[in-house]
Amino acid sequence: MNQALTQLLRSFILKPANKDATDYFRGVVKAGEMSERVLTLTESVIRMNPAHYSAWQYRYRTLLAINAPLDEELELMDELAEKFLKNYQVWHHRRLLLQRGALAKTPAAELAFIARGLSYDAKNYHTWAYRQWILAYFNQDALWEGEMRYIENMLEDDVRNNSAWHHRFFVVFSNGVRKGDEDREDTIRREVSFTKEKIALAPNNASAWNYLRGVLEHSDTPFASLREFVLPYTVPAHSSLDDVRDDSVVDLENPRPSPGADLPCPAAIEFLADIHEAVGDLQLISFRQLWKSLADEHDTIRKRYWEHRISEAQASRDS
Amino acid sequence: MSFKHSSEDGYPTPTSTEQRRLEIILSQHRPPPDHPKPTLQKNVHMQWLVRNFSQGFPERFISQDASQPWLFFWTLQGFYFIGAELDPQNKQRCIDTIMACQHSDGGFGGGPGQFPHLLSTYAAVSALACVGRPGPGGGWDQIDRVKLYSFFMSLKQPDGSFLVSRDSEVDIRGIYCLLCAATLLDMLTPELVAGTASFVASLQTYEGGFASASHPYYIADPPSLETLADYPRPALGEAHGGYTFCALASWILLRPLLDKMELERVPEINVKNLTRWLALMQGSEIELGGFKGRTNKLVDVCYSWWVGGCFALLRSLGVGVRHTVPSQQQVDNEDDDEQWSDVDDDVFNRFAIQEYIFYAGQHTTGGLRDKPPKVADAYHTLYALSGLSTAQHYTAPSDEVRERLRKEWKQIHDDSLDEWRKVAYVEARAWKEEEAASMYINGPGDRLNAAHPVFNLTITHVGRIMSHFYKQNQS
Repeated sequence: MNQALTQLLRSFILKPANKDATDYFRGVVKAGEMSERVLTLTESVIRMNPAHYSAWQYRYRTLLAINAPLDEELELMDELAEKFLKNYQVWHHRRLLLQRGALAKTPAAELAFIARGLSYDAKNYHTWAYRQWILAYFNQDALWEGEMRYIENMLEDDVRNNSAWHHRFFVVFSNGVRKGDEDREDTIRREVSFTKEKIALAPNNASAWNYLRGVLEHSDTPFASLREFVLPYTVPAHSSLDDVRDDSVVDLENPRPSPGADLPCPAAIEFLADIHEAVGDLQLISFRQLWKSLADEHDTIRKRYWEHRISEAQASRDS
Repeated sequence: MSFKHSSEDGYPTPTSTEQRRLEIILSQHRPPPDHPKPTLQKNVHMQWLVRNFSQGFPERFISQDASQPWLFFWTLQGFYFIGAELDPQNKQRCIDTIMACQHSDGGFGGGPGQFPHLLSTYAAVSALACVGRPGPGGGWDQIDRVKLYSFFMSLKQPDGSFLVSRDSEVDIRGIYCLLCAATLLDMLTPELVAGTASFVASLQTYEGGFASASHPYYIADPPSLETLADYPRPALGEAHGGYTFCALASWILLRPLLDKMELERVPEINVKNLTRWLALMQGSEIELGGFKGRTNKLVDVCYSWWVGGCFALLRSLGVGVRHTVPSQQQVDNEDDDEQWSDVDDDVFNRFAIQEYIFYAGQHTTGGLRDKPPKVADAYHTLYALSGLSTAQHYTAPSDEVRERLRKEWKQIHDDSLDEWRKVAYVEARAWKEEEAASMYINGPGDRLNAAHPVFNLTITHVGRIMSHFYKQNQS
């Protein structure tokens, strides 16, 4: 093995295709040149390799040093962002420009630009993070106001888009209290009932369940307050539970699983088990059975995890 | 045997359609019950690594031109997982090429002449931990630690976070990289990490996993501050496997130091929610038990390490720790069946993730990949091997090792930081593999070397480099 390695390693070197441009770039950095020419050079390095962070960094310093018009730079970034949507630096460079006051565009126009990016790639991490930064950094009521509608449209397109769910939590809870949301109890009621509707539509959607848990934990609302809602999701469709219900009465508080729902839903069983665990000792057997049904039947890949929950509960009861 | 598809609930969306498409592909990669099961093709992967190493990485990896230390780390650590050893001549070539990436202002760049960056610095230091040595030309003593420290401090932000490079973004990956390098090279100081643990804790989202960064409101000077209840620290971006690993590993490096710092408010993370989120990232049987990086996204072999590796890290917080329970007591506590009689307290499916790596992760011509039908690359190859290693081995902090290292500690500096350095050293080195708890789905022929859960180096390499920089006996 070692001899073969020695042989093969002889020519060990990386072979960049844009060697000329990167060589020039190195020369320019060494000489400390900051000029119009450097902007052209760094642009060509970046176009070939947008992950070349040194080129981005030197470009930014050059822009500032020669007082280049930042609005023009932002226009170039519009093009590059569409070309290199998945790239980190593209979004960060925009952010630097905006922090430096490049405002050919208003923050609202930035949100529209980001929305266009997300229409191609609805879960792009950097794009979402950049959107959240715009909102938090400029922190204008008018910017925040449009977000709920935007999120609802995104979830309309794909109720399983976790990035949109996270963005909802970001908007409603993570940044303090928004204008219009001052009545927190009302806000929480609104969020819980919105999420219930989405769960009813497609019950096996981890994003919606996680959001529901997030809202409840954030507001210290006991999971048990949702017991009525959760129960129909924990049993097979057309189970005995249906016989005692009158479907002609629509319970707005507790939307029922859609006709196509695949039941029982493991996330609902887990939720119910957590209710029982929180209620305490008397219910110990029942939540152990629920977890056990996940371990052995409904969510077998996570057998170990559900068994871990049982032993943790056991340990906290014993202590 | 066929497994159940993920439920679409009669309501398909782009997410569920893409998911279904992948499940069909993956289920075709599960070997039929009467066929031999694929094993780890060590030789083929070794040859693939050597080929990359020798012929230069393929042209399409041009985007990696700014990640040269990473290509070294990914490849070298791959060799050491498989158990190959490089000869001195080749090691020297590696050392020389990596050292050429050291910047005159301190830190390492993505290539010669590139600006220093936290990620490249981590990759360079880690690669040097594999192949470097003390003394002239060995790399270790040529790392300019004084300049490296000022490079680190130049990136520090008032909220305890760090930029990844000058004028660049704050990103938990950078913080993990900085903490690893600083821990290995004996550079941790209270000044360096002041506020960092609180920043790390601020990244945990309502889902339980961690995001890449959070937003500091005091910098924003918001025009409508009065509408905000307090000074919130919203996470930018959702819970993500890669960031979660970096956040948890950072937390584990910082946690033992917290009570050595005088803190007004000791930061906390929610371990229960974190454990739940991590467990939910494992795909079902039809996905061959691979890990996802985010809720409702597709499985990818690299999360075998980023998510799978977190379960090893959690053991240092007491989650999933093996313990010996007298079998009688166990029986008494249980009213139902026999499955409870073992003491294996893993909280993830160590068996299934190995299946994903073997069946879906291996490319027939060598190297490992995200998922079929993709091609292999250096990044996915290393993190698939790392993930396989962490699933095979049980590694956890050992009280016995901790005690021994404490006893053997030699006080070198007559300074107030001695106790601090001792804690950092002992905690980082206390991880031990318990061979008896190993698990190989096809038998030990597939065995890889064990990884240090924090650094993703072999435990031997961690011991070697740390004992050098902390001036301790290597034991």
